[in-house]
Amino acid sequence: MKKLILSTLTLAMLIAMGIGIHAGAQGAPRVIDITAKRFTFTPNEITLKKGEPVILELTTADVTHGFYMKKLGIDEIIEPGKPTQVNLTPQNPGRYVAICDHFCGSGHGNMNMTIVVE
Amino acid sequence: MKAVNFTAILSLLLLLGCQAKAPGRLETAMADQVKRRLTVGGKSDKNPLPESVETVRTGQRNFSQYCLVCHGLDGQNTGVPFADRMDPPVPPLNSSAVQAYTDGQLKWIIDHGIGPSGMPASKGILNDEEIWAIVRYIRHLPAKGSLGEPKVYSGEQ
Repeated sequence: MKKLILSTLTLAMLIAMGIGIHAGAQGAPRVIDITAKRFTFTPNEITLKKGEPVILELTTADVTHGFYMKKLGIDEIIEPGKPTQVNLTPQNPGRYVAICDHFCGSGHGNMNMTIVVE
Repeated sequence: MKAVNFTAILSLLLLLGCQAKAPGRLETAMADQVKRRLTVGGKSDKNPLPESVETVRTGQRNFSQYCLVCHGLDGQNTGVPFADRMDPPVPPLNSSAVQAYTDGQLKWIIDHGIGPSGMPASKGILNDEEIWAIVRYIRHLPAKGSLGEPKVYSGEQ
């Protein structure tokens, strides 16, 4: 009897842990590292899923850059030594071009990357 | 002998055009018409940015990236030592000649520059969003001298 109770409890606990881990894994957003450096973003193109929450972890390898994509609600500054986090759950599929909007030198005007939302 | 004299005199006359001095009224008027009607594009392009204080402020900030070294902080050459010694001289951006361009033409000029003059092309150096904001600033320039001189010329560190 004792053995049965003990094993049932253990099993229940394991199931609960399993559900907990599974739920936790689903809840934690994917983190995508993006590095800004004169005059590119790396990676230069990322693909996201509609409705999927992601965290963009923005860092700069040299000077202050910007990261701007109005339609996705992104408007950030990336300062040296200060990673910037952008929480994003895209709702509309499409191709979005995010630009650097903090003047960083001669190639600044062409500094951009593509965010594809499927 | 006659041919050599003629060539020499003609060459000297032509070289007179190499002075950097303010163009005369006729030359200015002709250049203005050529620019406005022929060579400057973008006439019917519309400024997508709102007509707002925020856009003008953004334009002012963008203008200070480097436009100010020739145009001054106020777009009216304040503090720029050589503005009137260029050929053609740097025009005050609030002048009727400049304001008569459409928004699209101003954007085109900033993108492509004006040749022959000291106005450079900024396409690829400023992005479209920034240039449109600068156009809004050009339409709302502050009073001449009210922003002081560019630091690079005023001797401030």
